[in-house]
Amino acid sequence: MTPATLNLGDLVILVADPSSYTCTIIHGMLRGFGANKVLDAKDSLTLFRALSGQKIDILICDARLPANDSNLRKQGGGLALTRAIRRNVNNENRTIPILLMASDTRETTIKSARDVGANMVIAKPISPSALYDRLTWIAFNPRQFVDTTNYFGPDRRFKIEGYPGGVGRRKGDKVVEVAAETGPALAQDDIDNFFNKARTGQD
Amino acid sequence: MADKKHPEAHLFYVDTRFEKRARRPGGIPREKAIEMAQARIEEIRPGFDVWLDQKLQELSKIIRSAQENPAEPEWVDTAFFLAHQMRNVGTTMGYELLTYVADSLCEVFDEENFDSERNMNSVICHLDALLLSRQEQYRHLRPEQVPELSIGLRRVVERAASDGSPKQDPSAAAATRPGVKKNR
Repeated sequence: MTPATLNLGDLVILVADPSSYTCTIIHGMLRGFGANKVLDAKDSLTLFRALSGQKIDILICDARLPANDSNLRKQGGGLALTRAIRRNVNNENRTIPILLMASDTRETTIKSARDVGANMVIAKPISPSALYDRLTWIAFNPRQFVDTTNYFGPDRRFKIEGYPGGVGRRKGDKVVEVAAETGPALAQDDIDNFFNKARTGQD
Repeated sequence: MADKKHPEAHLFYVDTRFEKRARRPGGIPREKAIEMAQARIEEIRPGFDVWLDQKLQELSKIIRSAQENPAEPEWVDTAFFLAHQMRNVGTTMGYELLTYVADSLCEVFDEENFDSERNMNSVICHLDALLLSRQEQYRHLRPEQVPELSIGLRRVVERAASDGSPKQDPSAAAATRPGVKKNR
């Protein structure tokens, strides 16, 4: 299999994270991948401004991005923002791919990220290989969108059978036991594998 | 198209600009892209120590001030954010131990029953460990290479979470002080 290559040239990438240093690092990685249009947002206000002012191709957002709106803040920052983007019928960026970055990778957080309409979750601290693989996965494995009364977002019933570049989980790999509801943080492989449960009817 | 199982569900494909354009020929192969991204990180790295020292100073100042005025709880949010920032970039910049300690401190702050006065010892213990993990001889170590420190911090977090009245564990505190023997 020829490994998939990612062409990020001229794509507008919005990185939303409260820490300017994290933004700098992710910028560096994306530029290394060939991206030349990377924008920043530090909170929900700048995020929505960026989303309404121009066409964004992909959003990479921190799950705890500070929300300026008190309702969004109560519902959990970046997670609530993702839901708000997906729910807003007037937003032309409603269907953009959203990659959520999470420091807290407990099962409940990953489940919430999936259920608010995130395409994928990446665990912090982020490595260049993890970021490249997840972007590649989003680009080469398009999923249909589901619109119901309770959910708008990518179909949650999907299975990762290895990343397009030939790395990551393979068919024959051992199934990872997912931690209990309030259990410890999940590793990136476990986060990816977690989505598998929905497809097999276990969730 | 409606899903048979959920008749109210509407399913449709969106070929986003990202998907279309990211698949164009002329992209950068994975290994090359990662190598270039790593090179970009190397360019940023010299500034990391300066950034880290600033954040550690800010955290120390906030904790010192909280010790003097324990009744003002606002400091917790700021300290939590600082710990988060360190946790989120430490490993990427080659400071794996820093990420471990900062993550442990986040856990202390994240505790449902966190109390400024009651948990101050746990916070100070973590601050000592953060300052230690920034030192040249510790920065490239992994948590499993300093078991006294990592196990000690684990115990501090567990105690802070369990009875809500932690007493500083002398062995954990000792493990976080500079000069403690490393187990490589």
